[in-house]
Amino acid sequence: MSARRLWIAAWWLLLGAAALPLARGLRVSGDLTDFMPPPVDAEQRLVLDEIGRGPASRLLLVALGDAAPEQLAQWSRALAQALRHDPQFAQVENGETDLTTLDPAWLPYRYLLSPTLDHATFDRGFLREELQQRLADLAAPGAAELQELLPRDPTLEVLKLAERWTPARTPLLRDGVWFSPRGEALLLVATRAPGFDAAAQAAAIGALDAAFRALPGTDTARLTLSGPGYFTARLAAITRAEAERLSLIGTLGFAVLLLLAYRSVGVLALVALPLASGALAGVAALVLGYGYAHGITLAFGFTLLGVAQEYPIRVFSHRRADAADGVAAVWPLLRLAIVSTAIAYLAFYASGVPGLRQLAVFTIVGLLVAGAATRYALPVLLPPRFRDSATLPWNARLAHALAAVPRPRWLPAALLACALGALVLAPTPTWQNDLAALTPLPAAELAREAALRDALGAPDVRHVLVLEAADADGVLALGERISPQVEKLIAAGAAADIELPSRYLPSLATQRARQARLPERAALADALAAALDGLPFPPDLFAPFLADVDAARALPPLTPARFAETRFGQRLRTMLVAQDGRCFGLGALYGVRDVGALAAFAAATPGVRLLDLKAASEALVAAYRARILVALAAALVLLGVAVATALGDPRRALRVLAPMSLATLLAVAVLRLAGVSLSLFHLVALALAAGLGLHYALFFERPVADAAEARRTLHATLVCVLAAVLVFGLLAASTLPVLRAIGLTVALGVTFHFLLSIQMARPR
Amino acid sequence: MISGSLPILFAALTAALPPEAAALVARLARPAPASTAYLEVRFVHLLRAPLVLRGELDYRGAERLGKRVDSPYRELTTIADGTVTVERAGRAPHRFAIGRVPELEALLAGFGALLGGDAGRLDAGYTVDIVENTQNWTLTLRPRAAALAARVRALVVDGSDAEPRCFALYEADGDADVLLLGAAAAVEPPPRTRAEVEAHCRRLAP
Repeated sequence: MSARRLWIAAWWLLLGAAALPLARGLRVSGDLTDFMPPPVDAEQRLVLDEIGRGPASRLLLVALGDAAPEQLAQWSRALAQALRHDPQFAQVENGETDLTTLDPAWLPYRYLLSPTLDHATFDRGFLREELQQRLADLAAPGAAELQELLPRDPTLEVLKLAERWTPARTPLLRDGVWFSPRGEALLLVATRAPGFDAAAQAAAIGALDAAFRALPGTDTARLTLSGPGYFTARLAAITRAEAERLSLIGTLGFAVLLLLAYRSVGVLALVALPLASGALAGVAALVLGYGYAHGITLAFGFTLLGVAQEYPIRVFSHRRADAADGVAAVWPLLRLAIVSTAIAYLAFYASGVPGLRQLAVFTIVGLLVAGAATRYALPVLLPPRFRDSATLPWNARLAHALAAVPRPRWLPAALLACALGALVLAPTPTWQNDLAALTPLPAAELAREAALRDALGAPDVRHVLVLEAADADGVLALGERISPQVEKLIAAGAAADIELPSRYLPSLATQRARQARLPERAALADALAAALDGLPFPPDLFAPFLADVDAARALPPLTPARFAETRFGQRLRTMLVAQDGRCFGLGALYGVRDVGALAAFAAATPGVRLLDLKAASEALVAAYRARILVALAAALVLLGVAVATALGDPRRALRVLAPMSLATLLAVAVLRLAGVSLSLFHLVALALAAGLGLHYALFFERPVADAAEARRTLHATLVCVLAAVLVFGLLAASTLPVLRAIGLTVALGVTFHFLLSIQMARPR
Repeated sequence: MISGSLPILFAALTAALPPEAAALVARLARPAPASTAYLEVRFVHLLRAPLVLRGELDYRGAERLGKRVDSPYRELTTIADGTVTVERAGRAPHRFAIGRVPELEALLAGFGALLGGDAGRLDAGYTVDIVENTQNWTLTLRPRAAALAARVRALVVDGSDAEPRCFALYEADGDADVLLLGAAAAVEPPPRTRAEVEAHCRRLAP
């Protein structure tokens, strides 16, 4: 093996060796808040938190099927048991009521938590009525469970709390666990990881699946999952699989293209080295600078870095007999392109949005390293045998034909007018703010989600009632105050249920008021003895009741923090959010039917708001897009200044920048005319295409000494354009809208950039 | 909770019971609807004295059964389309799926078989014993399934000639529930000990 080949192999080995620790060192975050403008107020922060981390976004809906009901019920219990011991899950519900297994130390609190004492006192009349009801209960279904409870809780406060803490629409209970009407056992599982974290959700889903499959006999059973986290993981997997499949085909096509263009296997080993080096350097910069990166940063960053793929191609095509390394002819222009692009991306850094800053760091470092690798390492590693692209007969014929193409001076103006007209006439809204529309779910999955959500009675994911107060107790008190109106809304059918935080824990004042109504031990004993007169209960049966009431009289009222030690307190904790010294209570809505009535109620009630998470997140996306647009505009200005300064001639700069700008506008016009609403992904794709277009224009504009050098430029540009159209055209054929958006925009943009560069950049 | 199954159990008793098991079961099939007065004596270990209830049982086919309490309070329990509903004066109705109480569901299935005259299905769920003398007969059903047997020790039907008199449900924890039917329900004052109830059901001399 020659020294040259050894060096190439060593370079690849070095990149491979660096890739692993870098990949491990970089924590990929899915936290959208990194990618949003800094929230300006507490509500925006709350919206961001709710979108990503809210309780509803963490719920996985689980159905177990394809087995006998008793078997499914047994698995449901065993699975819930296993998951409750797994730290990846914050909450597991399957219908098993474990109120009776509640730590007995907590039981006296039932008199402070249950509303019974708001309208009753434990006197003789009340107790006698209750005891008579219990006698009837003992003859009715459910008596066996009742007998255990009765001595301690003759007024059944525990059952009242259980009813109060159970959502209005619970699934059917069968063998003590939830079942769907279709005979599947149902579970609700809340992950600790936020719903947007694809990797963590995939891990949690894997753990859930493994826990289920570890139960004996489950190999033929069916485990069905749904919910936001499941969709996140599933979409990430679908997108990755599709992108990898298309990239593989694209890479193979690219290799064939290179073989046809250069008739050399050697270039295949070299062509990816600068880009790979740049990408690794970019990742290294993120690891050193931040320690983590957002998934979108990486996706957009790798996309934008795609311009670096052109650097080695320029070198290959410009090799000639008297300058075999090919660099001398192209480096000044490449350096200009690299430096001005890097300067342009500084605008992203200046935006202040963490995700955009990371994008700038990654892209700038990647471009500079890829450029340096192209300039200093690539030339010495080039295969010794090559063919001067200027001598290719087809290239000469093509150059001749292109020279004959008419270049009417009115054409750019006409195209500009057409593009502007198209923008005005476009049939659809300019912007697509619903990111979910770009990553749609298969219809079957959506139908299953709806069915499971309905069977489980899971809360609405779009609307949340927000209660704001100075502290948690204020939120609870506010909840108690509005509770009568909320009951009216439910009765009027605005929603099937509205779950306020105060349902789980009354305010301190309410707890103290109830406590004050509890009789002293002696008085209660007398009232009870009188109430028992003539009833068949043994006289000392209710000693545990007397003891609990006595204990309840001395209890310190329960705070959310202490209540959090219990399972229902955990539920409450997810409903209270402290932010900027204020406290926000999140009221979950079930079966929303009349948003208008809910909104009107919220608008008329101080401290209460109806949050529409979809509208709020779309507003955030719009704000984010505005930032990107400003950054892109600033980047364009910086690019123009850099190019004009480097070329030292405004007319030359115009010949470079005009086709680039017009081509970008034309690409947008065609997309809009075709009914495409633009999203962030289109903007990034347009930026990449513009970066490539800058190369075409710069090289076509370059004054050359002879026709042969012009043919080499044509050859290089053709290879670049064909490669881009091939790779991104494949993405455009994807069934996934997000890949289609990027692929179509780049392929279209590159084509326009090429055609307009020929028309406008070449000196006349 | 077992007492909720009494309406179902009653249904079995509205049938004439011939002496031989298979023949007996085959003739248990009974057209719906049918109703009869009952006297229920329920022995609960928590209480010093049994609960004594009077009312009417109502059978409208295996899927639809009702038990009405007239005294000492008013209550209506219905089982229809897999849902148990308990309605008591001055209270919101309490509803739950019958599947929530597997024993109840199993009993319902068992008595569906009994009322359908389906000896094979009955035999699959219970061991069936018959004891008879010149005046009386006693049919004893013991659940085969371990889960049900853990709750229910036996169901015992007493009758004479073609007439069922009593239906008794013996729970595993020692509680017992006895329904006296038709003419047997008319006894006054009601029997208040297990011995008195048994004597009344078997028409033994007090």
